[in-house]
Amino acid sequence: MRRRLGAALAAATLACTVTAGCGVLPELPDPVPLDIVPTLAPSLSAEDSANLSPDGFDAVQRMAVRIRNVGCTSLSTGSGFAVDEYTLITNKHVVADSDQLQVSTYDGRDIAVGTAATAALADLAVVRTRDPLPSYPELAGGDPVAGDPVTVVGYPEGGALTVTTGTVIGTAHDPLNANLGEVLVTDAPVEPGSSGSAALDQAGRVIGVVYAKTADGQSLLVPLSTLQQMLADDAAFTPVTECG
Amino acid sequence: MSTNPTAPLPGHVPGRGPGSALPPSVRPYGRSPGSPPPSPAPAPADPQPVRRRRSGGWVLALLLVAAVGVAAYLWLTTMRWQDNADTWESKARTHAQEVAELRTQLDGVNAELTAAREQVATANRRISDLANEKAQLGDENVASQQYLEYQERVSEAARIVATALGQCTDGQKELIGYLKDADAYDPADLARFESQVTDLCTRATDANAALQAELSQ
Repeated sequence: MRRRLGAALAAATLACTVTAGCGVLPELPDPVPLDIVPTLAPSLSAEDSANLSPDGFDAVQRMAVRIRNVGCTSLSTGSGFAVDEYTLITNKHVVADSDQLQVSTYDGRDIAVGTAATAALADLAVVRTRDPLPSYPELAGGDPVAGDPVTVVGYPEGGALTVTTGTVIGTAHDPLNANLGEVLVTDAPVEPGSSGSAALDQAGRVIGVVYAKTADGQSLLVPLSTLQQMLADDAAFTPVTECG
Repeated sequence: MSTNPTAPLPGHVPGRGPGSALPPSVRPYGRSPGSPPPSPAPAPADPQPVRRRRSGGWVLALLLVAAVGVAAYLWLTTMRWQDNADTWESKARTHAQEVAELRTQLDGVNAELTAAREQVATANRRISDLANEKAQLGDENVASQQYLEYQERVSEAARIVATALGQCTDGQKELIGYLKDADAYDPADLARFESQVTDLCTRATDANAALQAELSQ
């Protein structure tokens, strides 16, 4: 009886030892999977995808238009930009005294013009087109502050489409008295013909409309707040009177 | 495990008398300490060492079996891991080959992409140049058209001036002729004719002023 008890104790001790020892023994490896290639491949995102366009032109170039004001005895050019598929924003003095307005895009396409209207209290004009415009930007959330970067896209001197950059210097009273309220002053280079150009922030959103250049080379913008105020008021714009 | 080396041999009686180290279990019963000892009987064999040897053997056997089992398990594990490593290495080499091929393809595609981007940039510059040239030609066309219209207006104004001046001079010549023989005409008719000639000359003056205005533009 005692022998059996001892053997049982020994077996139990051995079992415990083996059991405890199994904890330190390496486990058998899992079988190697047949296919280790992930089912869902990591997605590839192109760099600067926000700037991709159907034809390789930047969005800021696609929204800009060149405006030719054919007067009764005069010819002038200016710039403008789209705010929706059939609406352009430019300056009042760009479309004033016109017999015919001719609009062309960044790639040379002609856009048929419907109507034009000018604002009484700001150097702004709205041109409705009959053909769709290639692209249009968003409006920024508010006016920029001093130090903010600014990009101007337009047709200086009636030449090629040009993009210039600078920073917002501050605000000032309109020296031309063409606008009600304050206007923005920037150091972005502009030239005659740049009038009506869109001024954009870093995100490509509209922060103002170029309308003049000072003697010391600074550019003056109609601020976004004035543009939004005018666009919100249907009575703010009156049809352009053609030259006679 | 071992047997007890101090176990007494059969026939030997250890520890007689008081103070003997014999365990109580082997002491005889019913005798006083001073009584002579009975004839010595052979001491019973101690069963404890035999059990220990047998238990030790079992333990050794079990340990041997366990060691063999562990060794077998370790051998199996090693073989499995070796097979596993070989399989993984094979897969790794296959995928490394694919990676090398894909890298080569990627380099080719990147080169094509770079070339395509350069072509797009060149095409865009050309499009911009053509758009600008078209715009300039449009401006020149409009300017030429406006100049042509201007020339037409000037020519028309000059024609009107010439006509008016001709009518004026003709009228004045005719009036001078009438005035040379004024008595032959009714003074009222002469005054009316003079007024008509004056109107013609006034129109000529106005036409000339319009011409000068056109020329001054």
